[in-house]
Amino acid sequence: MPYSNFTLEEVLATFQLEIVESIGIFSDIEPVAPSAVLVAELEKKVPVAAAINTEKARSELIVANVLFELLEQFDRRISFFSGIDFNVDVESGLTGVCDFLVSLSPVQSFLEAPVIILVEAKKEDPAPGLGQCVAEMIAAQRFNAQKNNNIACIYGAATTGTEWKFLRLKENRLSIDITVYQITQCGKILGILSSMVNQTA
Amino acid sequence: MAYSNFTLDTVRTAFQLEIVESAGAFSEASPVVPRAHFTDELSERVELATSSGTEKARSELIVTDVLFELRKHFDHRISFFSGIEFSVDAEQGLTGVCDFLVSLSPILSLLEAPIIILVEAKRENLITGLGQCAAEMIAAQRFNAEKGNDIPCVYGSTTSGTDWRFLKLEDKKLYIDRTIYQIAQCDKILGILASMVEQKA
Repeated sequence: MPYSNFTLEEVLATFQLEIVESIGIFSDIEPVAPSAVLVAELEKKVPVAAAINTEKARSELIVANVLFELLEQFDRRISFFSGIDFNVDVESGLTGVCDFLVSLSPVQSFLEAPVIILVEAKKEDPAPGLGQCVAEMIAAQRFNAQKNNNIACIYGAATTGTEWKFLRLKENRLSIDITVYQITQCGKILGILSSMVNQTA
Repeated sequence: MAYSNFTLDTVRTAFQLEIVESAGAFSEASPVVPRAHFTDELSERVELATSSGTEKARSELIVTDVLFELRKHFDHRISFFSGIEFSVDAEQGLTGVCDFLVSLSPILSLLEAPIIILVEAKRENLITGLGQCAAEMIAAQRFNAEKGNDIPCVYGSTTSGTDWRFLKLEDKKLYIDRTIYQIAQCDKILGILASMVEQKA
């Protein structure tokens, strides 16, 4: 049973999570201004990705660019990974490939703890990605603990590139922000991702 | 049987192709200089794509950008698709998902003939992508003919993002350029792709 098999309901039951849903959990976070290059590129790439409308095109033309910008903002002191195997606990079903994963380590050649943000890309609606994303967040929590790199919170995002939903896992308490953030508010999205990296979100 | 099952040998037998191999078949194409910001970001993107090393990272951080730049060069008069289903003839195994596909039509919302370039992304070994790419090129040839949009040549490329190999299919003749073009010569690679779009390659 890999990450992709988990629905939100199943992941909550399997790992006995307590769920807290609310509007705008992350909405007070200060925006981070995107670079002029990102703004100019997104203006062109977003419509193309939406027209092609595959998860692959959305990942390539939008999500990867946003995460690349995040990396730049932190002056390469963090790393991001795309499409890597992240097998943590086969018995609990915590195996599979993660779409995107951000680590606080600057090492890019292999994945080092602590893993901080898990991003799950979807083609049409970010919501079906939530269960999968949460399963990956639990795996990251365990991975970090195994590597003695325990951090208080693990964050997640489910996204179509154009729409983003954000999550936070603290111990077994899962907070879901039911606000959907649009790529047109790119500064807001970058601000939220940055505050996750800074562990202030 | 899908595109990904074909090796160069099985595709040649199945479709009675004549293979013509040479070095530098496409090396005469005039270079196309990319925009400054493409060049500025390239080395960092290459570094990132190669250190995590997945096909996904290579596609997102390098190949997509090259094709986006190509579309820009043609002032959006062409379209490119990423990860779409391209099923042409199930009986002959011409079915499956194409990594990237360039069409001479500007329409992005659906795939219109004529298809001109098929790009197959690989993590490491470009040779393994040749059969798959050739099968997709045959499918494109048929697709174009079915739509009454016959063009004399269909082109192909297998790429790891950092290394590029190029192909041409004319009737039943499959030309394979043995030269490997490296992303450091991105103006050359863009030049070859542009000459394919112009049907001069």
